[in-house]
Amino acid sequence: MFLKVQLPWNVIIAAENLKPGSLMLQRAILIRLLSDFAAKKATKDMGYFLAVTTLDKIGEGKVRQHTGDVLFPVVFNAVTFKIFKGEVLEGVVHKVLKHGVFMRIGPIENAYLSSSKMPGYVYVLGENPYFMNQKMPKIAKDVKVRVVVIGTKWMEAEREFQALVGLEGDYLGPISSPDM
Amino acid sequence: MSGEEEENAAELKIGDEFLKAKCLMNCEVSLILEHKYEQLQQSSDDAMNQVSQVFEKSLQYVKRFSRYKNPDAVRQVREILARYQLAEFELCVLGNLCPETVEEAIAMVPSIKTRGRAQDDEAIEKMLNDLSLIKKFE
Repeated sequence: MFLKVQLPWNVIIAAENLKPGSLMLQRAILIRLLSDFAAKKATKDMGYFLAVTTLDKIGEGKVRQHTGDVLFPVVFNAVTFKIFKGEVLEGVVHKVLKHGVFMRIGPIENAYLSSSKMPGYVYVLGENPYFMNQKMPKIAKDVKVRVVVIGTKWMEAEREFQALVGLEGDYLGPISSPDM
Repeated sequence: MSGEEEENAAELKIGDEFLKAKCLMNCEVSLILEHKYEQLQQSSDDAMNQVSQVFEKSLQYVKRFSRYKNPDAVRQVREILARYQLAEFELCVLGNLCPETVEEAIAMVPSIKTRGRAQDDEAIEKMLNDLSLIKKFE
């Protein structure tokens, strides 16, 4: 799910970058914020950081004692992405293995759909392997699939989420809407 | 595997801060990110120019998974869904998945039936019909 959140942040401007004139300062703060934001990538609570939409407030700068940098507390709005257990979402298969497939859902690169969560599907070996079901369209690379989130895991070191998804439930499975 | 034992979006158990948070449909995010992307492309300033991998992947995703493209249609979808007493989360799942029948809608967002507001089937059907009309005339 995509979220619009308001976040407080501390932007630190090095002393040598503090140019006179408030416009230059605001710009320096914004650039720094955008850079920090992109570098942060994601947090466990807010999910993946996509884009800053508005800068709402820049507070008074505080000089940091030992470095001479100035810290500006800011408040901004951003779009983030987070998935929740039980959520129904759509994604694209990008890798087919014997025991399941990996899907891309939003910025999540590896949402895993295990074969044990694909009722009725069997693995078909070949140069381009896929999963086949008598009653439903096949699940292959580049196929769009609607899934339910079974579990999520935050990986602190990589700063990303892993997800376990499944097809157990009504109206889940490959979707064949015209590609846009 | 999941961080919080009780989390379950099907029952709208997603944590208070997310229940109150503003959620965005894929088509709304698509408009926001595309606009951002254009702004950044036009900026001759390299410092403002970079997009993260997360941004690129998300942009690709929302472009592919938006059911509505036209900004007016996107706005109408939000307006129509807002008339029914839905949580933001429920509203966005419906706007993203565009269920065609009442059964499908309830399967996608079970909480619309269980959370006390008990939307009756007629109301859900009307909502889905209104949504499909937007699609037809987009």
